[in-house]
Amino acid sequence: MKRSKNQKPRTTILVATLSTLLLGFSMSAIAQSISTIDVDSLGPQVGEYVPNFNLPDQNGQVKTLDSILGPNGAMLLFHRSADW
Amino acid sequence: MELQERLQELGGSGIGVAAISYDSTEVLNDFAEKRGITFPLLSDKDSAVITEFGILNTVVAEGLGPNRDNPEVVASVHKYVAASVFDSIPLRQMINGTPFPGTFMLDANGRVTSRYFEEFYRERSTTSNILLKAGIGLTPIAAIEGRTAQLKFTAYPSDTSVTNGTRFSLAVDVEPHPNMHVYAPGAEKMGYRVVGFNMNPSELVRFEPANFPESEIYHFEPLDEYVPVYQEKFTLLQEAVVNASAEAEEIMEELDALTLSGSFDYQACDDAICYPPASVPITFTLELEHLDYQRTNQR
Repeated sequence: MKRSKNQKPRTTILVATLSTLLLGFSMSAIAQSISTIDVDSLGPQVGEYVPNFNLPDQNGQVKTLDSILGPNGAMLLFHRSADW
Repeated sequence: MELQERLQELGGSGIGVAAISYDSTEVLNDFAEKRGITFPLLSDKDSAVITEFGILNTVVAEGLGPNRDNPEVVASVHKYVAASVFDSIPLRQMINGTPFPGTFMLDANGRVTSRYFEEFYRERSTTSNILLKAGIGLTPIAAIEGRTAQLKFTAYPSDTSVTNGTRFSLAVDVEPHPNMHVYAPGAEKMGYRVVGFNMNPSELVRFEPANFPESEIYHFEPLDEYVPVYQEKFTLLQEAVVNASAEAEEIMEELDALTLSGSFDYQACDDAICYPPASVPITFTLELEHLDYQRTNQR
């Protein structure tokens, strides 16, 4: 099951619970709806513009999307943490 | 960080770089200093940008919510966040606000040209692999060069050092000699051998379907055949993922390197002669890094 950009996990659980009551789905049906996330559907897609941002770097210097973009674009990485 | 090593090439290609995480500038400063990182590590302390991008990992919030003990919620935390090493509420709190990790390649106007997100948290594409897939040529490292009667090739790994879950590529630049062509997918139906790697199966590495560039149609008049071929220089990618299972990790603990063996196969023909299929044995040896669970700093 695909999820929209703004996920509402609780709604999903609620809907799944309702359908369990109504249709007698097993617990594994709920599990399917909770644990299947299509990460490729999240965030800006190919051809779409990414939002601008204003964030400080490791030296406290504020960077924006424009300041990161080179003449041929940029590589923008999102990662969990530098800390662990 | 392996990205640092490719920074010059990226700059030379006119491509900017930034990495975003929810860490404080202090943590990032410390990390940059320890690892010698010079590109911008951006601090999205309240995860506002991560949220605006729509890639906030909501599984973590769910793992802290009223259903946190539901075995299925626990299972999805394991799948999308981390395994038992993070299996505690304080640790889930610590990682609340992190994104689903991934990379966007943007054009000069900030439009997405390609994107790389992994479904399993343990699998991660290397920067070099992303650059190769995005069509940004890299200087081959640890290359195997070959020259046959029909072509020239340079085979190389995107990375010389890998670990559990690393998604990397074996690349081969192929240059057919003048008037010579090799066969692209589709040609097998006409009985020709399609160019490509033929790697021996390994329990430690999963090979993905090969990534072929666009081919051209060659009209072989004597048989009135229209065959997909490559006549100009091209690059073929064979993506691979290092097994991230606990069993594989245990086996790899004893190893310093991964050896991948197989062959580079092709069939080449010109207007007059069709040479028999050829198979050139190749072996790549990649250094195995062991995962480091050590934290650099207290947050």
